Amino acid sequence: MGLDIRFPLGLMFLVTGGLMTVYGFFTRGSAIYQKSLGDNLNIEWGIVMFLFGALMWYLGKRQSWKNDPVNPRPWERPQYPH
Amino acid sequence: MTLTFIDWLIMLVYFVFVLGIGFTLKRYMRTSNDFFLAGRSIPAWICGLAFISANLGAQEVIGMGASGAKYGIATSHFYWIGAVPAMVFVGIFMMPFYYGSKARSVPEYLRLRFDEKTRAVNAFSFAIMTVFSSGISMYAMALLIQTLGLFHGIIPDQYIFHVSVLLSAVIVLAYIFLGGLTSAIYNEVLQFFLIVAGFAPLVWVGLKNVGGWHGIQQRLPGPMTHSWQGMTHANTNPLGVEWFGLVMGLGFVLSFGYWCTDFLVVQRAMAANSEESARRVPLIAAIPKMFFPFLVILPGLIAVSIPVAQHAAQNHLVGASTAGTSLGIIPQKVNPVSGAPMLDDKGQPVYNYDLAIPALLLHYFPSGILGLGLTALLASFMSGMAGNVTAFNTVWTYDIYQSYINKRATDAHYLMMGRIATVGGILLSIAAAYAATSFNNIMDALQLVFSFVNAPLFATFLLGMFWKRTTGHGAFSGLILGTSAALLHHGLTLPQDAAPGLHGAWIKLVHTYPSDMAQNFWTAIVAFSVNLLVTVAISLMTKPRPEPELVGLVYSLTPKPVEEHLAWWQKPASLAIAVLVLLVILNLVFA
Repeated sequence: MGLDIRFPLGLMFLVTGGLMTVYGFFTRGSAIYQKSLGDNLNIEWGIVMFLFGALMWYLGKRQSWKNDPVNPRPWERPQYPH
Repeated sequence: MTLTFIDWLIMLVYFVFVLGIGFTLKRYMRTSNDFFLAGRSIPAWICGLAFISANLGAQEVIGMGASGAKYGIATSHFYWIGAVPAMVFVGIFMMPFYYGSKARSVPEYLRLRFDEKTRAVNAFSFAIMTVFSSGISMYAMALLIQTLGLFHGIIPDQYIFHVSVLLSAVIVLAYIFLGGLTSAIYNEVLQFFLIVAGFAPLVWVGLKNVGGWHGIQQRLPGPMTHSWQGMTHANTNPLGVEWFGLVMGLGFVLSFGYWCTDFLVVQRAMAANSEESARRVPLIAAIPKMFFPFLVILPGLIAVSIPVAQHAAQNHLVGASTAGTSLGIIPQKVNPVSGAPMLDDKGQPVYNYDLAIPALLLHYFPSGILGLGLTALLASFMSGMAGNVTAFNTVWTYDIYQSYINKRATDAHYLMMGRIATVGGILLSIAAAYAATSFNNIMDALQLVFSFVNAPLFATFLLGMFWKRTTGHGAFSGLILGTSAALLHHGLTLPQDAAPGLHGAWIKLVHTYPSDMAQNFWTAIVAFSVNLLVTVAISLMTKPRPEPELVGLVYSLTPKPVEEHLAWWQKPASLAIAVLVLLVILNLVFA
C-alpha cells in the first residue's frame, strides 16, 4: 500500500504527546497530580510519546509514497510506446 | 466522572486519525484482492502487531484485568501456555499452507484440502460467530461507557447506551468500508501502540504505589502471585484446574484451535507481502503477546492490592457501591433496581471484577493522561470489533456469496459485495448487541454453542495438513461428531456449586468438575479426541485424494520453504527458538 503506517502513527503520537506535554506544563504543581502520587504524568509521558512519534514520523516519511500504486506505472502511461 | 476539554481533545485526535486512515486508503482499493487481502502487500511487523491487536478486544482487556484481580498471576497461563506456543506453531508449520496454497480464507483452505461440505460447516459457523462476537464487543463497550458515566451531563443518561452503540458502529463501519482490511490492520497498529501508551504508565504508577511486585507479593496470598503454585491438584490453586487439564485443554486444544485456525487472526498473516513474512507474522506477534500480562493482568493485581483506606469513599463509578465493602479498589456489585450491594448465596459480597482496569484508570490518572487511558480502552474495543467485521466480510463474500449464490460475477461486483457485507455485518452486530441487553442468557448459550463448534477444529487441521491420507468425508464426520461430543460432555457434567442448566448436566449429572474452567478445558479435550479418532477411522475407510492434487496443501507433499538467502537470525526457526526461550524464562520467574 502506498501509505506507510509509521507516518500517521508518528503524527498521532506527536499531536497527542504534544498536547499532553503542553497541558502538563500549564498544570504543573496542580492538585490534580495527587492522584498520580505527585508525578506530573502529562509532561513525563507526553514527552516520551512525542519523541516516539517523532521517530516514527521520520521513519515513515522517509519511506512514504515510494511505491505508490495509484500513480500509473511506466507501461500504463500514455507516452509509453505500444 | 468528569472529563476536561483536554481528555476530549485527545480522544478526538484519535478518532480523526482513525477515519483519516480510512479516507487515505480508499483510493488504493481497486480490486477485491486489495479490499479483502490488503493486496498481500503488508510488511511482517505491521501484520504481526495487527495479529495480536485484532484479538485484543473488549473481552480480552477487561476480562484479563478482571481475571487478574480474581485469580492472580495464574491468569498469565492464558498467554504463556494458551497463546504463545500456538503462535509459534502456526508460524513455523501451518503458515506455508495457508499462504502458499493461495487460499483466500481459512474455509477456502478447507475446500482445497477436503471438500465443499467441510468448507460450508466452517464458513457458516464462523460467519455467525464473528457477527455475534462483534456485537458482544459493542455491547460491552456501550455498557462500560454507561458505567463510567462518560457522556454523563452531555446527553441524557437513558440515551448513553444507544449513542455509544451507534458511534462505535459508525466509526468502525466508516474505516472498514473505505479501506477494507488494510484500514483495519493499520488501525489495529495504532490501537496496539495506544494500548501500550495508555496502560504502561498506569502499571508504572500502580506498582510504585503498592511497592512493586514485591509489595504485591506481600499483600496477596501466595497462589495469587505464583502462576504454577498448587497446580498439581485442582483444589489447591485459584483457577480450579489441575496442570494436565490446563496444558492439554487450554495450552493445546483451545489455544491451537484458536490461534491456528481462526480466520480472524490468520487473515492478518495472510495479508503479508511474502510467504517468509507470513511465517514471521505470528512469531513477531508472540513477542509483545508474551509481555501483555504486565499490561492487562498486572493492573488487576494492583487493583486488589491497594489499601482500602487510601481509596477514599469517593467512588466515581455509576452503579458501584460505596456503602458495601470493597476489595482493593474493586467495587461491589449493586442491585440496579434497589441500589443495595449484592450478596451471593452464602452471604458473601459479589465484586464487579470487570471494573478493575477502569477503576484503576480513574484512581491514578489525572486529566490529560486520563483521556489517553480512556482512548486506549476504546481503541481496544474497536479493534476487537473491526477484526470480526473484516473476517466476516471476507468469509461472506468468498466462501458464501461467491460459492453458493453468485459464482461468476466480475471482480468489481465482489468488491461491492464486500462493502455491502461490511454494512450488513455491522447491522447484524448492532442487532446482536441489543439482543445481549435483553436476553443475556441467550448470549451465554450462544457463546457456549460456539465453544462446542470450535473445540474439535484443530484436530481437522492437524490431520489435514500433516496426514495425506485424511479424506473430506473423514474431516466432515469428525467435525460434526466432535461438536456433538462436546455437547454431550457438557450435558453430562457440571462445575461444583452450579445448578444444572446452562452450566451443564442438562441431560444427566454424571461427573462434577472443581470449576467451570476445568469443565470447559475437559469439554475441549473430549471434542478434540473424538474428532481425531473419528476422522482417522472414516479416512481409513474412504478413498483418499490422489497425491498430486495435495501438493501445497499437505506437509509431506510440499517442498520445504527455501531459506538459504536468509541470515540465521532472519530465519523463522531462529525467531521461534528465541520466543520459546523467553517463554520458559517468564514461566520460571513467575512460577
